[in-house]
Amino acid sequence: MIRSLVLSLLVMVSGAAKAAAQDVDLSARVTAAVEQHVLPSYARFATSARDLSRAAYTNCNAEDEALRGAYHAAFDDWVRVSHLRFGPSETDNRAFALAFWPDSRSKTPKALAGLIAEEVPAGLEAAELMQQSIAVQGFYALDYLLYDPTYMTMGAPEYRCELIRNLSEGIAVRAEEIDGDWGQYYAAQMIAPSKSGAYHTTNEAAGELLKAVATGLQFTEEARLARPLGTFDRPRPKRAEAWRSGRSLRHVVLSLEATRDLTAALAGETSVAARLDGAFETVLNNATFDDPAFAGVKEPIARLTIESLQQYVNALREQVVAEMTVALDVSIGFNALDGD
Amino acid sequence: MTSRRRFMTGALAASVVPVRSWAAIGDPQYLSAARRSDGTFVLVGLRSDATLAFEMPLPARGHAAAAHPERAEAVAFARRPGTYAIVLDCSDGSILARLEAPRGRHFYGHGVFSKDGARLYTTENNYESAAGVIGVWDAGNGYRRLGEFSSGGVGPHEVLRLPGKEMLVVANGGIHTHPESGREKLNLRHMRPNLTYLDGKGTVVQRVQIRDDWHLNSIRHLAVDASGQVGFAMQWQGEFWDAPPLLGLHRLGETARFCMSPEAVHLGMKGYAGSVAYCGSGMWIAISSPRGGYVERFDALSGAYLGAVGAADVCGISGAGMGMMATTGDGHVVGIQTKIAAFHPLAFDNHLVAI
Repeated sequence: MIRSLVLSLLVMVSGAAKAAAQDVDLSARVTAAVEQHVLPSYARFATSARDLSRAAYTNCNAEDEALRGAYHAAFDDWVRVSHLRFGPSETDNRAFALAFWPDSRSKTPKALAGLIAEEVPAGLEAAELMQQSIAVQGFYALDYLLYDPTYMTMGAPEYRCELIRNLSEGIAVRAEEIDGDWGQYYAAQMIAPSKSGAYHTTNEAAGELLKAVATGLQFTEEARLARPLGTFDRPRPKRAEAWRSGRSLRHVVLSLEATRDLTAALAGETSVAARLDGAFETVLNNATFDDPAFAGVKEPIARLTIESLQQYVNALREQVVAEMTVALDVSIGFNALDGD
Repeated sequence: MTSRRRFMTGALAASVVPVRSWAAIGDPQYLSAARRSDGTFVLVGLRSDATLAFEMPLPARGHAAAAHPERAEAVAFARRPGTYAIVLDCSDGSILARLEAPRGRHFYGHGVFSKDGARLYTTENNYESAAGVIGVWDAGNGYRRLGEFSSGGVGPHEVLRLPGKEMLVVANGGIHTHPESGREKLNLRHMRPNLTYLDGKGTVVQRVQIRDDWHLNSIRHLAVDASGQVGFAMQWQGEFWDAPPLLGLHRLGETARFCMSPEAVHLGMKGYAGSVAYCGSGMWIAISSPRGGYVERFDALSGAYLGAVGAADVCGISGAGMGMMATTGDGHVVGIQTKIAAFHPLAFDNHLVAI
């Protein structure tokens, strides 16, 4: 775990940060974002992740419909919080263990094959499995076991069954941990910044939330869309996110919806709210085509549709950042977004 | 007789400005460029307890600074592709000299003084030929330009001097940019970063290249310890999840070693190290990632990973006490393995430079 320096400040410091923009109640915006977006989203994820674990205990057959349904529901809810990469999600590398992707060196399949071939005992205990490499945990490992024909038939069925159960349990435990931390202390620290908390000022808390929108959109563009697109001469459909289970486009849509929801909560009644909501609407309208796993990156016409979506997402991110930083009078990532 | 006139002006300027030492102006230990909350840019001096010793205006966003070894003089560099640097008298904020990059050159934002403080070396881009240049300036005579030599690579970003000798070490980032296309990277496919050691006359003493499959790992920033070991921090130009190690250690005459944290921590750095520094005791070295929001620590001798500490938008780091001082884009000044805590209504820029 990475200890936060700002959290550990021992000395009280004087000098309040600049007051927020006059016409925006920034504190109310942060409260709305946390209470209407973050907390309910994580609560839903914790519930559906627990349901997934239960379904796996009931029936661990990879082709069981109830199990697959629970898998999709929990994965959906993960993607809906996947832009909230700060605080509890980063404690003990929880988010990386839930979602080890992109995996350009194929660490997940290699590690999975190793576990199965050797029937490594750690695979038989959820708590032990959670201590293994982050590459062999979470949704993307499960995606292989539930949807890749090679892994669905690899090794002993009994071992695979336990692996599916224990991976699901690991997902449930981590989802509940993140949800628990938000409820127990992190939400309060964001809503009421203090010198001894994770955020000293409301501006910092608002900046964190706005940065989550920006990095969420950036990840959708650079990883979820750019990776399968590759280049015109060399498209890479098998680099699409969760293509085995046909979820690639779905992740783009879910993440756009989630960042739209967070943007709306942050924007509140400000003049930019309606305009940005319309901008999200436009991008989502361009994400309705029928190509769930982005197989079309290889076809010139279908490819254009996906490229166009990528450009829309990129432009959307720039617009959201430009308009929201002005509307809320917060700055995000002075160094992070503009380094040298 | 332009050069003679310029020389006279410089000499005159030097003779009327009283020479004051760093101690005489409140003993700042660090310099950092920053943005004020009103949107203007400044160079600030920080004391060891993180209080501000001075704050003086800059015409545009700064990057790094170079402190004169004795006089309370600092050279503040514009961030690339800036063509100016200004020499400030830190006792009263007056401008002692303005450095204008020669025609066809721009600064990269870093520079270092010679051992005796008589010359200033700056990293520059000869952008038509895409050649890296080290500019040499006469710090004793109004910062007249004395000449230049090759940096030994493309895109020299930071230059430092090994302790006790006239030996420069240059981080040639390998990336070619041209002012006409702003900060756009023009040669990523063919970039070849290197670490080059040059004597005071520009003779290459050693050039260290990194392995071929890491050629996208732009060597940008440097730290040198008392024994002359160089730490070099890199910025991966590929997709962040593919990033190889972001910190290397090197000693003149030897081969480089690389340091990397465990998988999840390393991924969180986002392939980007913004600054590198040794701690005050020299026992460990650290790299900061404003994109990841934390600082990774490694054993300076073995290169082993020691741990990471987090702070949003952290970038500037420099040795302090036995540990380290770190600055953030949110205005925090925090201690790592030492007690420092302050907040200023400033966005601290990339680098915290020890005086």
